[in-house]
Order: sequence, then structure tokens, then C-alpha cells
Amino acid sequence: MNRRNFLQLSAAAGLSAHPVFSFAKSGQLLVACPTAMSGTFSSIGKYSDMGMKLAMRHYPEVLGRKLNYKMIDTEAKPATAIRRVQEAMQQDGIKYFPGALLSAESLAMSKEIHRSGGMLITNAGADEITGVECNRSTFRWALPTYSLIQGSARPLTEIVPEKKRWYTITPQYVFGEDLLRNAKDLFKEKGIEHVGNSYHSLTEREFSGHLMNAAAAKADVLFLLNYGAQASDALRQAASFGLKEKMTIIVAAASGLEQFEALGADICDGVYFGAVYWHTIDTEMNRRLVKHTREDFGISPNYSLAAPYVNVHMLVTAMRNAQSIEPAEVIKAMETLEFEGLTGTEQVRAADHQVLRDFYLIKGKSAAQMKDKDDYADILHAGRNFLPAEQTRCAMA
Amino acid sequence: MNIYLLQLVNGIGLGMLYFVLAVGLSIIFGLLRFVNFSHGAFFLLGAYGCYQLVQMGLDFWLVLIVSPLVVAALAWVVETYIFRKVYHLPHEMHILITVGLAMVIQEAVILQWGPVGANVAPPELLQGVVIWGDFIYPKYRLFVIGVGIVLAAALFAILEGTRLGAIVRAGSESSEMIGMLGVNIKRVFAAVFAVGVGTAALAGVLAAPIRGVDPFMGVEALGIAFVAVVIGGMGSFIGALAGGLLVGIVQSMMSTLWPPGANLMIYVAMALILLVRPNGLLGRG
Repeated sequence: MNRRNFLQLSAAAGLSAHPVFSFAKSGQLLVACPTAMSGTFSSIGKYSDMGMKLAMRHYPEVLGRKLNYKMIDTEAKPATAIRRVQEAMQQDGIKYFPGALLSAESLAMSKEIHRSGGMLITNAGADEITGVECNRSTFRWALPTYSLIQGSARPLTEIVPEKKRWYTITPQYVFGEDLLRNAKDLFKEKGIEHVGNSYHSLTEREFSGHLMNAAAAKADVLFLLNYGAQASDALRQAASFGLKEKMTIIVAAASGLEQFEALGADICDGVYFGAVYWHTIDTEMNRRLVKHTREDFGISPNYSLAAPYVNVHMLVTAMRNAQSIEPAEVIKAMETLEFEGLTGTEQVRAADHQVLRDFYLIKGKSAAQMKDKDDYADILHAGRNFLPAEQTRCAMA
Repeated sequence: MNIYLLQLVNGIGLGMLYFVLAVGLSIIFGLLRFVNFSHGAFFLLGAYGCYQLVQMGLDFWLVLIVSPLVVAALAWVVETYIFRKVYHLPHEMHILITVGLAMVIQEAVILQWGPVGANVAPPELLQGVVIWGDFIYPKYRLFVIGVGIVLAAALFAILEGTRLGAIVRAGSESSEMIGMLGVNIKRVFAAVFAVGVGTAALAGVLAAPIRGVDPFMGVEALGIAFVAVVIGGMGSFIGALAGGLLVGIVQSMMSTLWPPGANLMIYVAMALILLVRPNGLLGRG
């Protein structure tokens, strides 16, 4: 080999390793699902991986390129999430990140991905994502706190109009504060007396003291504004204190089917939950997702599984509409995207990149009423409630 | 009934559970001078043992005995084959090894039962609530208070009224001296370690119907146990009782006085007590 050949080979090797080439290497389009695969939130990653697997099977190619994915373990830490996203972009040339779920890391990744010219589709709850921290590279399938309160508490006020004394239990961080603010607005509008609120820290697992406050306030409705394991603990302890018999209990946002599995039917029976997704939603896409999830994994899909799945559907549809895999073109196509999704016809709002879609109020049922092992709740109400775009405080960057 | 009185009673209930959790940690440190950061992991094993055995159809009352005994037996093996070899090393090494073991146990639990938590129903006899005027309290939590009182009395009787108790107390002053007096100190160490870990597992069983089980409950329990032990004084059995009760009462009372600070105030209480009494309420100088 002479010097000229050596230089040519070296240049070729260097170029092939460049992200621009690995991005669509060998006719492949690699995307990454950034979520917690280890630690306290590792269950999210487990289900999200299933959702991504199904999505790859149902959308095997886009514009002649084989679609593939990798999971990125964010460890539920924003700093780790940013580092892993940078690595994915620099080493694998990945530009698309569907399936994120946790708020803090989504906010952090959103900025990084926007700065680096990629695109994030997240399912996180923080209002800032489509509010003050919105940007052109980030889209959200999850719903803002306004929608959660309007879709859970408002229909409940119509189901039990005689119950006028509400007590709230709220985690003291941005998500909880936003839920509480929206709940108070609704109470005011509906003439509901807010008889008390217990704030708690993000590490709280013992709710007996807060529940005794609610009982002492003689509330008619206990409104749990916490999420995930904290909502489960509060609900479990409320049931043990006999509060289910004394007052109506509603959880603003259920974390998904796995929450019902963890709690069991006895505790969930008669309790109301707001739900971003539920596996019995009667749409074509959801029926298909449920069928394939049961066939492949022997479970019904939950939110952590369904969200990355629909995110990939959005991404592929936008790419096909754009006839391009270049982020700038795909983002443009996303901004006008309307598609048949898991909850029916869903639509991206260009002003804040929020997906406009239904939110559900479901009610837990007893073990005797369950038709199958996952039939924990019935859907009582479905509806879409969003703040007008000009009130979201999103100034699209 | 006044809300503060209700919270006081609730705090005593919580405190008794914290005592059951913390007492083993305190006794182990008192005798072995061994900082056991895997204590929370054994609590976790006790809770999951309860969950698994109840799922298999065993009666809760039987599980209450079987699960702690199985975990205690495991602890005996761990003490004999791992921890005994590192007692002579500095505390930093104790921490390293016990944290490592805790991580292994936690990951093993995730591998076996998955990362999602599960519910454990209280036994039928203890389901429901006791109503006394405005006072409503779960029967199961009253039962936990009862178990805590019985355990405290039993441990007190053993430690203060038996030859074994005398050996343990003397050993906590000078284990070398006890060894020179012909006592098989290795066996005493193993037994005390197993009993200490067994009480952690018992706390796990008792906690399972209250807060369910999840693979990360051990870490949270370890934090509470250390606070209770530090407040009461490392190595003091009565201190663990005082520390557990204080933590429970502070947490419950603060739920009414300043709800967002209910957890924080536990640590503030610990800091204040350490400022006044650096060895804890009943710790040795």
C-alpha cells in the first residue's frame, strides 16, 4: 500500500464513522428511546422497550430505510439523560428521540436536542414542555395539568354534584403545584369548598398524618394530586383508614395499568382516576396495539408501553408526509400532523407542539366485576380540554 | 377528638414500626461495632418473603413467623461466611461491603419479582377500622403497635434478665473480655446478628400490608432506621425505642403543623438532638 492509498482508506474510514453517515448507515434509520432503564423508575424502561419493539415491527421501514431503535438509560437523572443523548447524537448520529416519559429529564433533553438539531417526542407531564420552555424540536403526546384537572375533576363534579367539600393532597414540586392551581380554579368556578390541602415532599411514603387531616376536615371528596408510587401509597393508606367509605376518592392522574396491578382491585374499587391512556379505549389503533401486546408479551399495554409506540407512529407518519428524514423538514410536517392515534383522531398544535387528544375519567371496579385480569376500571368520560395556545406562555424558539 | 391527639396516637403507631425496624441495627452495632448498611435490604427481603408466602396461600399469621426466621437464617450464613471476615477492618470497609450486599439483594428482588410494586392485604381479622368518636384508626396499625410493645418487652426481658442478655450487654462493652471468659463469642455474634436482621425482616412483614412492597423500600427504611438509632444512641435498645417513637411522633404531628416538612423535620430533630447530646438520647459516651 502506498502513501496515497493509505490516505484514501483513512479518509474513507473516518467519513464512514461520521454521524452524518451513521445516521442512515446501510439504509438504516436509527432512533433512540431515552428513558429510565434502571433505578426507581426502571419499570418505565421495561415497558417502553416493549412499546418500541412493537413499533419497529409495525413500522419496519420509512422512505426505503429500515427503522431501528436503541434504548438509552437515563437513570431518571437529567444530567445523565443529557450525556447519553449527546453520546447518541455524536457516536450514532441519532437525531430522533421518541418515547421520553419523565418530566425533569425531558426538560433537560429538550434543550440539548433542540440545540443539536434533533427532535424529541415526550410523554412527560410538566407544563413547561409546551409552555415557557417550549421549542421547535420538542413535541408532547402527554397532557398538561390543565387538561388533567378538567378531564378528571370536572366530570366528577357532575357525577357527584352534592359533594361540595374537597380536600387535596399535593406533592410540593412544579407538577403538583400546577395541578393544585388548576384544581383551585375549578373549585372556584364550581362553587366547591376547598376544605384543606396537605403538601408533602417528593420522598414522602407515609400519608397517614395527611389522611387524618382530611378526615378531620370532614371532606366529601379526597383529591390526590400526587403521582405514581406516592399516589398508590396514599390511596392504599386511605383505604386502610376507611376513607373510601367516608368520602369519594379521586386520583388526578393514574400512572397506568401497572398501578392497578400493584394496588389490586379491592383498593381501586370505587375510586376515580384520571387516565392519559387506558387499554380499553375503542379505536382501531388501540385495538391493534392491545392485540399485538397480548400476543407478544402476554400483557395488556399500559401508558409506558403505549406512549413510545404512538410516538414512533407520529414520527414515521411525519417523515412520510415530509418525504424526508431531515429534522427541519420532519418538524415542519409534525406541526401540521393529524393522525388516527390511540385515542382517536389526534392533532399536533403548531403553536406549542402539544398533541390535542382525549383524556379519560375511569372508575375502579371490584374483583367480582372484572371480565378479565386487566379489567380493573371502566371508562366513564372522555374529552379534550386544552388552554388556548396563547395562554400556554409558549414563545416558540 | 383533637387532631393533635389523633396525630399523637398515629405517631406512636408509626414509631413502634420504626422501633421494630431500628432495634436490630442498634443491637448489631452495640455488640459487633459493625455498621450494617444492608439492614434495609433485609427489611426488603422480609417484606417480599411476606408477599411471596401470602401469594402461595400461607396464612399471614404463619408468615409473620416464617419470613423473619428464613431471613434470620440467611443472615446467620452471611455473618458466618462474609461479615465475620471483615469485622477487623475499618468502618469504611463495613459500609462498602454492606452497601454492596444491599445492592445485590435489591437487584435480585427486581430480577425475581420485577420493578413494579405489589399489594399485600392485611389478614381478614385485622381488616377495617376502629371507630371511637372522631377517632378512626386501622385495626392493622393497632396490631403493629401491639407487636412493637410485645417485642420491646421480650427484648427487654432477654437483654436484662437472662444470661444471654448479660453476655450481649457485656460484649457490647468489651467483646474480647467475654471471649477470654470462655464464651463462644463467634456464635454469640452470629446469633445477635441473626436476631437483629430478623427484627428488620419482621418490620418488613409488618410494613407490607401498610405500604405494599416494592424493590426500593429498603433504601427508604434504612434512612429511617439510622435516624431512629442515631437519635436514640447507637447500641442502645431503649434508645432505639425512644428514637423510633420520636421519629414517628414528629412525622405525624408535622403532618398537621407543617405538612411539607413532615419528612424534613425528622432530620431536623436528629440534628438538634445531636447538637445537645452528640451520642444520642441514650448513647454511650
